[in-house]
Amino acid sequence: MVLVAEHVADTDRNDGFADEAIQHLDTLYRGALRLTRDPARAEDLVQDTYVRALRYQNSYQVGTNMKAWLFAIMRNLFWDRFKGGRPEDVSLDGDGQFALYDTLRDPSAMPEADVLDRIAAEEVVKAVEQLPELHREVVLLVDVEGFSYKEAADVLGVPIGTVMSRLHRARRQLQKLLYDYAQESGIVHSTGDGE
Amino acid sequence: MNCTDCLEKLDRYVDRELTDEELEDVKRHLEDCPPCEDLYRLQVNMRRVVKVCCDQGVAPEHLRSRLREILF
Repeated sequence: MVLVAEHVADTDRNDGFADEAIQHLDTLYRGALRLTRDPARAEDLVQDTYVRALRYQNSYQVGTNMKAWLFAIMRNLFWDRFKGGRPEDVSLDGDGQFALYDTLRDPSAMPEADVLDRIAAEEVVKAVEQLPELHREVVLLVDVEGFSYKEAADVLGVPIGTVMSRLHRARRQLQKLLYDYAQESGIVHSTGDGE
Repeated sequence: MNCTDCLEKLDRYVDRELTDEELEDVKRHLEDCPPCEDLYRLQVNMRRVVKVCCDQGVAPEHLRSRLREILF
């Protein structure tokens, strides 16, 4: 009888876990697509994320943020699988990477707020996908998924200050990419012609 | 608060990550400073547009079925 009772309890717990986990499928898939930029790889990544989540479900604390927990698994798998190691090994946090953009920063590189609404959705997605992965993932977590800095820091395993600096750089870069696109496609005209 | 202080806090203002006191300081500065207010509006719009554009699409049905077999 004890064994049966334990089995039932296990089944109940598993069912609850699976029910909750599957609710995050679309969100995880969209995140995987943005990370891998490839539908087949995104599917593999999501499937492997769920397999790993199932295996380690006992480490998930019921009542905490399951979406964040699943994202953390997926993002670690992504770096291990597709990038050859966790990103701390290939940090982009040095200032060198964006020194160039800092020197390019000028008022004319700032699109009007309403210009953004005239840019097609796929161009915005393309711009996000052009960001370096370390910056792309923080944009996904904070801007797309609405995680707090603390939650994003927990998912990424970095201090909050690192989330803030990556986010700041990512947004500036995104601004520039979208502005460049808006100029190339004639949505805005360059103000730097001296005319 | 000057513009440099405001710009330093702007991301956190947009993301609702400031203390109430800091939030009030930035808010007051934005009311009096059109260039900072422009930048703020741009940031808010960019965050909104990125969310709306990246939040589209659903997982393929065959993936959902496969995961159901794995999970349940």
